[in-house]
Amino acid sequence: MTERVQVGTIGGAYGVKGEIRLKSFCAIPEDIADYSPLTTEDGSRSFDVTISRQITNGLAARLSGVDTKEQADALRGLALFALRSQLPETDEDEYYYTDLIGLDVFDTGGNPLGKVKAVQNHGATDLLEIFGPGLKTTVLLPFTKEAVPTVDIASGRVIVDPPEGLLE
Amino acid sequence: MARSVWKGPFVDAYVLKKAAAARDSGRLNDVIKIWSRRSTILPQFVGLTFGVYNGQKHVPVLVTEDMIGQKFGEYSPTRTYYGHAADKKAKRK
Repeated sequence: MTERVQVGTIGGAYGVKGEIRLKSFCAIPEDIADYSPLTTEDGSRSFDVTISRQITNGLAARLSGVDTKEQADALRGLALFALRSQLPETDEDEYYYTDLIGLDVFDTGGNPLGKVKAVQNHGATDLLEIFGPGLKTTVLLPFTKEAVPTVDIASGRVIVDPPEGLLE
Repeated sequence: MARSVWKGPFVDAYVLKKAAAARDSGRLNDVIKIWSRRSTILPQFVGLTFGVYNGQKHVPVLVTEDMIGQKFGEYSPTRTYYGHAADKKAKRK
């Protein structure tokens, strides 16, 4: 399980009063403030985030310790991370994308198939994108109880039972 | 202009045949590979999984009731944007 999760990035200064332009990657963009304090990737700096308002392509926000436009501009492009432990508990059979990505994939016979490369959702079910040495290209697998009977985050693996013809 | 109601929804005939065959065989979890992105999703497709071609691969689409009347192509994008995982959640159905 990853320790830090990227939840946003700083686009630069917004206005001249020390506000920043914040791009949130959260499912609900305003939720980024709930994960305060946000840190840099190495954890060396941390910021309390206060959302001011919604703006075009992002949010206007104030960061603790950033009071001028110059300070805000200096942070342009900085990625903001939250601790994985700060994310709220999930319901049963609900998993964070960040927990699923990178898990080892095995079939029901115990043979390794590859790793979870990404999780996608195009409006129907969630899909696990699997890539492995035996596969010519990535394979999309519906994230259902039939196709993915076991998800074991603690041991870092999922067991899949792909429908016939999907891995061809 | 919207499609005339008297024509009924458009579905490629082979999609209907494949769906009926899957239902008759009882193998509801198998992926039915189709290339027809223009076909309308009908009530008899609910519960079946279609692999809808996006020009590269067949994207599995598990049909649910709220998808009736849409086209298959709407659930199989031809361009993929990964984005960041952040706090996004996946629900195992």
